[in-house]
Amino acid sequence: MQRRNSMQTFICVVVLLYGVVFLAQAQRIKPADPQSRPIVIQGATIHVGNGQVMNNASVRFEQGIITEVGTSINTNGAQVINGKGKHVYPGIIALNTPVGLVEVNAVKASVDRSEQGNFNPNVRALTSFNTDSDVLPTLRYTGVLLVEATPDGGIVSGTSSVMELDGWNWEDAVLKADNAIHINWPARFSRSRRRGTPFGGKANKRRQRIIHLLTNAMREAKAYATVAKPAKVNLKLEAMRGLFDGSKTLFIHASYSKDIVESVQFAKTHGVQKVGIVGGYDAVKVADFLKEHQVPVVINATHRLPLINHHDVAYAYKLPGMLAKAGVLTGLTVGNERGISMADHGWRVRTLPFHAGTAAAHGLGTEKAVEMITLNNAKILGIDKQVGSIEKGKQATLFISKGDVLDMLTNDIEHAFIRGKKLILDDKQQQLYRRFKKKYD
Amino acid sequence: MKQKYLFLMLMLLCTTIAQAQVTYPVNGVADNREGYYAFTNATIYTDYQTKVEGATLVIRNGKVTAVGKGVKVPKGATEIDLKGKYIYPSMIDLYTGYAMPKPKRSRGFSFASFAASIDQFISKKKGAYNWNQTVLPEVNAEQLFTIDQKQAKKWRKMGFGTVLTHKQDGVMRGTGALVTLANGRDNELILKGQASTHYSFSKGSSTQPYPNSMMGTVALIRQTMLDADWYAKGGSKKEKNLSLDAFNATKKLPAIFEARNWQDALIIDKVAKEFGKEFIIRGSGDEYHRIAEIKATGASFILPLRFPKAFKVEDPLDAEMVSLAQMKHWELAATNLAHLEKAGVNFALTAAGNPAFWKNLKKAIKMGLSEKTALKALTHTPAQLMKMDNQLGSLKKGMYANFIITSGNLFKGKNSIYENWVQGKRYVLKTMPTLDLRGVYALTLGTKSGYELHVSGKPGSPKFAIKQPGDSTNTKVKGKMSGSLVTLSFNLDKKKKGALKTRLSGWAAEKKFAGTGEDAEGKTIAWAATYKGKLPPPPQKKDKQGKGKQGKGKKGNKKKKPAAKSEMGEVIYPFVAFGNKEKPKAEDMLIKNATVWTNEKDGILENTDVLIKNGKIAKIGKNLSAGGAKVVDGKGKHLTPGIVDEHSHIALRSVNEGSQSNSAEVRMEDVVDSEDINIYRQLSGGVTAAQLLHGSANPVGGQSALIKLKWGEAPEKLLIPNADGYIKFALGENVKRSRYGFLARGRYPQTRMGVEQVFVDAFTRAKEYKAAKAKGGASFRKDLELEAMLEVMEKKRFVSCHSYVQSEINMLMKVAERFNFRINTFTHILEGYKVADKMAKHGAGGSTFSDWWAYKYEVKDAIPYNAALMHQAGVVVAINSDDAEMARRLNQEAAKAVKYGGVPQEEALKMVTLNAAKLLHLDKRIGSIKAGKDADLVLWTANPLSIYAKADKTIIEGAVYYDAKQDEQKRAEVKKERTRLIKKMMSKGGKGGGKRPIMRRQRLLHCDDLGGERILWHLSGDQDKVHTEQATEHNHKR
Repeated sequence: MQRRNSMQTFICVVVLLYGVVFLAQAQRIKPADPQSRPIVIQGATIHVGNGQVMNNASVRFEQGIITEVGTSINTNGAQVINGKGKHVYPGIIALNTPVGLVEVNAVKASVDRSEQGNFNPNVRALTSFNTDSDVLPTLRYTGVLLVEATPDGGIVSGTSSVMELDGWNWEDAVLKADNAIHINWPARFSRSRRRGTPFGGKANKRRQRIIHLLTNAMREAKAYATVAKPAKVNLKLEAMRGLFDGSKTLFIHASYSKDIVESVQFAKTHGVQKVGIVGGYDAVKVADFLKEHQVPVVINATHRLPLINHHDVAYAYKLPGMLAKAGVLTGLTVGNERGISMADHGWRVRTLPFHAGTAAAHGLGTEKAVEMITLNNAKILGIDKQVGSIEKGKQATLFISKGDVLDMLTNDIEHAFIRGKKLILDDKQQQLYRRFKKKYD
Repeated sequence: MKQKYLFLMLMLLCTTIAQAQVTYPVNGVADNREGYYAFTNATIYTDYQTKVEGATLVIRNGKVTAVGKGVKVPKGATEIDLKGKYIYPSMIDLYTGYAMPKPKRSRGFSFASFAASIDQFISKKKGAYNWNQTVLPEVNAEQLFTIDQKQAKKWRKMGFGTVLTHKQDGVMRGTGALVTLANGRDNELILKGQASTHYSFSKGSSTQPYPNSMMGTVALIRQTMLDADWYAKGGSKKEKNLSLDAFNATKKLPAIFEARNWQDALIIDKVAKEFGKEFIIRGSGDEYHRIAEIKATGASFILPLRFPKAFKVEDPLDAEMVSLAQMKHWELAATNLAHLEKAGVNFALTAAGNPAFWKNLKKAIKMGLSEKTALKALTHTPAQLMKMDNQLGSLKKGMYANFIITSGNLFKGKNSIYENWVQGKRYVLKTMPTLDLRGVYALTLGTKSGYELHVSGKPGSPKFAIKQPGDSTNTKVKGKMSGSLVTLSFNLDKKKKGALKTRLSGWAAEKKFAGTGEDAEGKTIAWAATYKGKLPPPPQKKDKQGKGKQGKGKKGNKKKKPAAKSEMGEVIYPFVAFGNKEKPKAEDMLIKNATVWTNEKDGILENTDVLIKNGKIAKIGKNLSAGGAKVVDGKGKHLTPGIVDEHSHIALRSVNEGSQSNSAEVRMEDVVDSEDINIYRQLSGGVTAAQLLHGSANPVGGQSALIKLKWGEAPEKLLIPNADGYIKFALGENVKRSRYGFLARGRYPQTRMGVEQVFVDAFTRAKEYKAAKAKGGASFRKDLELEAMLEVMEKKRFVSCHSYVQSEINMLMKVAERFNFRINTFTHILEGYKVADKMAKHGAGGSTFSDWWAYKYEVKDAIPYNAALMHQAGVVVAINSDDAEMARRLNQEAAKAVKYGGVPQEEALKMVTLNAAKLLHLDKRIGSIKAGKDADLVLWTANPLSIYAKADKTIIEGAVYYDAKQDEQKRAEVKKERTRLIKKMMSKGGKGGGKRPIMRRQRLLHCDDLGGERILWHLSGDQDKVHTEQATEHNHKR
């Protein structure tokens, strides 16, 4: 009986997998071709990404790189796109997402975001990133062009990579490989049986033990990193090497104020060069500390409920504005966090501009909100030299929207480019739409 | 050891009292004493309201034979002089598990036990008992009772003489026995073997999954009562059911129902009224949160006295974890009884398992409870509730000689209970001092005289000191009295420390001491002391006069009270942050110059006024005159109808009764939670009405509750009156339990094929049921599940069906058509676009998500164009939330239909207002701005579909339930109130004694939430047990 059951499960999984793959294949969108000739977008409103807006401005890019931005630019030999009345934005960047690692959340066979065990610095999102995921093209349709594919689960979840949302394979799509290690800081207050839930339930009794383990691991990793070529290679410690020379960021997932301070101090004490807080629900309370230590905060959502009943109903809406005002480098994403509904679902990432819109409406302001999901996120990922704003010398990863991209009422992407490649803005959902629209017309 | 021996002695002395004739053999020579006593010169409370001073109480054979002033001590009675002492009838507790076998309690969640019982559909109890393992009316406490001497002693020590005890296990717990707390043979102790019946919402040791929700439990109680009725009228010919036999035999007994909070109490009352039954409610201590509703139940209560500890709030960051409700309850819990007394609620008290009972009772009295009511609640009321007030609860001729002797007023200061007499048997708790020796004595030690012996302290435990001639200070004396024997030791020469002390042994009598001893040299001496006069006022008083006065001043303050009382916080409605001090009231309003989205033929009207009168929309037009109405400036703002959420699970205490494939009998109305902060949060997003649906764990879920979000009102008042009945159906992955892995393979259905059969079967049975019902007769059994299915078939109840893929949508429409009814709404319906033409033809509406997909296999083909396509095909389309967070942005979710599919803005707004109202058959009352409709309106700061829109005012039936400005004020008030309470806590619990802050995060309920019952703000905290019915918590989404 037992055997039969497991056999059934196996068959089920196989059938499911086959179904997903088969369906997807039938409607796959072709990756874009490299930019072959210069392109100029002319006479548009350019939201630079650094808080500036240029009206009636143009941008020229060649071979994937922005060569000119301004009011009067050279259109020689270029394909000209009329941008009149339209808006140009840098490609939106989403941090801390399961995009590419998850197809259908409830189907385990299609989920590759949490590895077994608690200490996994060596597992890499990069090599599991599925460029053929049906979810990917749907994100581009609201302006999201770059994601940080991020493992979750356990205490040290693994190593993320920054990916472009277009490409033949992960090697083709990668923008920055192995950019950061993510750890879930053991929360002071956690719900029983749900490790790490911020602000939940009773005081977490296991945390001290976990912190000891983390401390040991950090110490050993640091010592290990001093030897260039160790005789015995430890994959886990090897993966952490980059934390000490600044080539990898340590993203600490924490929400409660004390956890934030404690975890940042932990990282700094152990000589970690780049630290970022992900989550940061309570970060406003320790904004001065974060500013002093130049630790950026990545907010995982504005569309979430207050964690505490007596908090302002609009607390999460206002949080980006409050943090920005306090002078903390703040990024905004639709990211994975325990306690946020469907946070581990990649498809949600397409709502990122609207999360930013909500922040804009609640004290942040429109251009600051755009900055938060473009340049700030690029800075936090350490890719701001390449992307994040529409400036000369940066990659032409940008898009044209008919209206304000932060408002669902006007968010309407006409063209999108990644490194100058003009994306085919189509996806499975639009194909189905067209098919059935025709049926009812 | 010593005590045990004493006890045994006492027992030997006592057991034979009042047993003239017994059925059991006695070893030795008969020693039948009558226990004939007369207590004289006492202050006697003959009942809770009659205090007689200098009275006499005569008891014989365990009963009172005479009581009152001037009663003569009869010949043959042993006289006990109780001058200066009090006699009270002893206390009675009606809610105990005294001397009952301990029920097996499951210790939290165990995977193994969960796995073993997940598919258990029938009781595991062997014998011809009820099908459900938690229905145990056959349990009989008198059969389980056997004296527990240890417990009895504890109870007596607290002043109790009689308790009602029952086995605290299950929903229907059987009968309780009224027993005394005497020691003796069980035969003598049971006063009433079957005195009461008991109920609770806790499943106890039952391993059967059904019921795994609060509403399932309520449904089970309803059905069992119906079954018992059917059984009595003829059903017994069809089957033998020992449980129902027992239920019917005991149904006239007083019934006691345990409530875990005031919300439970209101549901208990509701069920009671449905069945013409009266329940005595065992309350929880938070009744003051809704005193008016509690009063309206008309029920009697049995109340515990448990108060939460202060939290440690010295760390401002950690203190954030403590909710306002927890803080406020900490402050106000002790006022509960005073509130109830003031409201005129009849109540008794229970001390079961509460060592702080007396301390807390005194605190409650300080907070305004009268002593009289306190005494009544401990004596008369419980006796009366048990219909034993002619035998218990007061001291009158013929009543049980159950009383206590105390040193003074029971409710004041540090009085002692000296003796507790039960059924005429004496139990000494503390030796009563026979002699009051206090005073100044002339002391002679051997040949030396001139000393003064000062005896102070309490009569039972005097303190001694010696004053030597020529010495202004007293010489310390170590002294001890045991009965009339006294031992003293002291050092007369203060300079010689460590010298041998003078040691005296002696005996006391009225106003004198005498005895023998050894002096500092070890020489035997005789000593004596004779009374000289009263003690001088303590000299310390003079030295510390300042302090003394301060002390007095303090006392004076305490008596003054008003100063202290004004510092108490107010009760807010609901009892959580952002609650109202006063419930919002409808007012006449004129909203001027707004952009009005009418949802009617007129479309969107610029610069238009809307007049609200008596909770209704009175007029729409330009330049309307206000009359007496309050004018609201709507310039630059947009006015829309209130948002209606077709699919919501907020404001519910439980969401899924997923243990059976069909749970049509459960009603979400029974679990509406008026205290959910998400009501307020959604008001801030313009939501005014919602359908609270059962979850999607089974094909036929439960009956919906349609509510308006009237923040502050009690659960019953949230319900929309005269709304049509709805029921949740569900299809697909959830109902076939796709995500249970290898578990739960037992429950039918496991495939979509089986899902169809569940529906066909249910309606086929409902059809047969209809015929049987028409025929009637004794054999007809009312079945609440089939009643609901029949209502669906007869178009009296309407279906909202959780569904995703086209095959199943099509299937259910065909099943409905086969049984000649229509599916009202397909909810979620992410593949609705594939069969939209069929839906339109069938007449089904579609209530969908805007852009959700890819979260489970069955939504892999979901597209954000679904709403637009269904709309295009002529389906009435709504956009729903199923999510407490998203619901407050439903206007913006509707806007996604503009982005994806180009739906006109006006039509998009209808998807969260008028269309949802249509699907709920409420479109004649709400959903558009039209004269005569309910004034459920939202004033927005911008185009309501825009991301920049914020609700400025949310109005329900003319009352403003959310106002952006008010919200700001409320936040300031919350902060102020918290600061005040933190200050107060710091002075009480801040230093070590308090509890560490923990935060109870609210669990949000979704479609797939199974079991896990939420009892929000069950504030009695760690002390009271919160019986969450199911430890299993599957927090999958949708």
